Amino acid sequence: MPLDYRRFNGPEDSVSYKIYTKDYIKPYEERYNELLDENGLRKDGRALNEARSMFARTDMVSQAKGSSYVEFKKTKVVCSVFDPREIPHQNEFSQLGQIFCEVKFAPFSCPRKRRPHAPDNEERALSVALRQALEPTVCRHLFPNYQIDVFIYILEHDGSCLAAAINAAGLALADAAVPMYDIITSCSLAVIGDKVFVDPTEAEEHVAKTSLEDSNINHGIVTMSFLSELKQISDFTQVGSMDVECITKAMEVLEVECEKLVPNFQRIMVMNVIHNFEQRKRLDDEAKEREEALNKKMEEWKQLMSAG
Amino acid sequence: MVTDNADLTDFKLKPMKCEFNYLSKSDGSAILSQGETVALVSVNGPQDIKMQSQSIEKSTLEVIFSPKGGKPSVGDRYKENVIRQTSETAILGCLYPRTGITVTIQELEDFGGLLSCSVNCVCLALLNSGVAMRCVFAAVMCAIDDSGNITLDPGAAQLETARAVMNFVFDGRDRSLITGFTEGNFSEDAYREALERCRAASELVFTFYRDIVKKYSNVIG
Amino acid sequence: MAEVYKLIHPVKHFNDYISLNIRPDGRVFNEHRNIKLNVNSIKTAEASAVVKCGNTTVICGIQLELATPKAEQPDIGFLVTNVELPPLCSSKSKPGPPSDHAQVTSKIVSDILINSKCIDLKDLCIVPDKLAWVLYCDMVCIDNDGSLVDACIMTLITSLKTLSLPSVTYDAETEDIKVDPSVRKKLNVSGTPVATSFAVYKHNQSNIILADPTAYEEEMCGGSGASLIVCYNNGLLCGTHKFGGSNLSADCQDVTLKTAKEKSAIVENVINVCKQDYESNK
Repeated sequence: MPLDYRRFNGPEDSVSYKIYTKDYIKPYEERYNELLDENGLRKDGRALNEARSMFARTDMVSQAKGSSYVEFKKTKVVCSVFDPREIPHQNEFSQLGQIFCEVKFAPFSCPRKRRPHAPDNEERALSVALRQALEPTVCRHLFPNYQIDVFIYILEHDGSCLAAAINAAGLALADAAVPMYDIITSCSLAVIGDKVFVDPTEAEEHVAKTSLEDSNINHGIVTMSFLSELKQISDFTQVGSMDVECITKAMEVLEVECEKLVPNFQRIMVMNVIHNFEQRKRLDDEAKEREEALNKKMEEWKQLMSAG
Repeated sequence: MVTDNADLTDFKLKPMKCEFNYLSKSDGSAILSQGETVALVSVNGPQDIKMQSQSIEKSTLEVIFSPKGGKPSVGDRYKENVIRQTSETAILGCLYPRTGITVTIQELEDFGGLLSCSVNCVCLALLNSGVAMRCVFAAVMCAIDDSGNITLDPGAAQLETARAVMNFVFDGRDRSLITGFTEGNFSEDAYREALERCRAASELVFTFYRDIVKKYSNVIG
Repeated sequence: MAEVYKLIHPVKHFNDYISLNIRPDGRVFNEHRNIKLNVNSIKTAEASAVVKCGNTTVICGIQLELATPKAEQPDIGFLVTNVELPPLCSSKSKPGPPSDHAQVTSKIVSDILINSKCIDLKDLCIVPDKLAWVLYCDMVCIDNDGSLVDACIMTLITSLKTLSLPSVTYDAETEDIKVDPSVRKKLNVSGTPVATSFAVYKHNQSNIILADPTAYEEEMCGGSGASLIVCYNNGLLCGTHKFGGSNLSADCQDVTLKTAKEKSAIVENVINVCKQDYESNK
């Protein structure tokens, strides 16, 4: 890899200490068996079809037009959206506005290795998936020849990154008052054999992504984003190999999960509007006070003037 | 023409030698040696630049620092920032809106104090180029050793044993501080004393500027 | 109304506030913003800290790696500190490689850390000439609302103070390395370097010093690169940086030193409380 002149670099031969620890390389079976305990519950005590609780808020970044923060237990994602700007380096007129998405992992976000600073394939794939999910949601015809920047920063990666990113981006776009057709929610699941893990953690995703040479079992990760009011699927991303029945079943499960998130989103957005109204009212009151004071001054001066 | 300031050598600063118009193609250039440290600066502009980098309020200053050898590094960007911010304060950029001024610094020899030598050389090159300036500026450097002694304009050997090294850039009009940056740790009193000593010593640099400009100018002569 | 005024005439808007001896966000000139500090919130990093100074938010995560020391200095380890300004932190940063501003900030932060001598790099060496720790400290700015260096230093030092190194056994003959993460040793950090930023504003021929400036204030005082940064560690100065902007007279210098010293005591307290809290909860 070429050396990065714009950063301080460590020695070239440095490796994570974790590869020297006892339990670094575990066989597939062991990793698989670790995912569930004897009661059929997952490591964090959830049932297979149970999603993690979500924490979300808007107004995270003061410098951005709209921003949000979404947390699925350990998965932490920040998103900010900036004002529409003219599409750079383009001569042709574009009828529809564009959405520019960039997903970036923090260098310290992954449990196994240090993330490189330069964008890697996974980040590029996530950026494309995010753009595809958002494009049908935003009223792009309202800002022709302009682009909206959506930046996602993943602080900690513990599975379901794409779903968290789409949720965060949806909230941030709403916070930035970008016109949209519907609330967009997203959820993912991991398939390993006959088991379906809703809202998988990083460890579960890791097992699901591993394809065994000799067996031909279903495995993979499915992420779906859903417009609940319109009953439309805006994006469907699938990694791994699984049969058709498995996929249709997964879609049904995901649809239900996505629907579950909608009330939360609605509450956040309504709270946002109420908050803004209150603030607006306060500012208006203050402005009125100031204006009255000014008018009073004016009157005084006028009197002084006429008095000579 | 080479100008020497031999009469200043018994003062506290290292001898300075300077030559204007060292490069024939640039709008202004100067080569300056302070002791064994040598820097060469060329100034080009005000000139046309890309639309994106134009500013309607003032001219855009671009500073490029090229080291003698090796690869570009984060440290070079820091040096460029020091010089850009300092020159931006001094140049009357509002007279040249929508243009760019490029300052290129080439390191020739570094025996300690390259950055302060570069700053002085940039000031001379700007004077030579005829860009309108609010003020001239002079950089003075000093070192503090373990026992608290302050050495002005230290040599390479003194820098190695120094506990702290400080660089200050002063305004030519009222000797107020434009830029300052330090290495190592030191007490407040030492800092204040070093600042005052450097402020006093900056007088020498300004005198040197005046001599050089006089020698090159037939009108003021 | 005020927002519109700020947009069309930012300089006058700012000047109006300053002439009334108050800053746009309601602070007085030498008042700092509130500090919020949280440790160990990122579980994938060995040590981490999140700091919020007003709106400015910086997250630092430290990761550990092993490497062979340099041949010239076989008995010291590596400390790699980088400041990231991802495009989401402000409309000024763009996607792509680090901007000049990010690089300069990285350099200032790493200079302060080295000059304060709070980490002895010899502590990071495990076996001279064979094995040493590499500490990758990445500071990520989530929200850049001015005084970036202050927040970076604060989160970096807090992370370093809560970092513990796993024990390593090195077999000299087979060159076999074994790491046991369950047995850990704390990293020794001497002192608490604290940086304080100031913006220098020229108002009616006199200087006004604004402590802990916001991004808007920095912009009004000659751009984010022009702030004065004063850094204290154990009562000693370990770095002052000022790049251009308005000139600084001698009496203003004393004001900044005094304010910086006061702030360093406060921040040191905050960090220590946070650290104790973390250790007692472990």
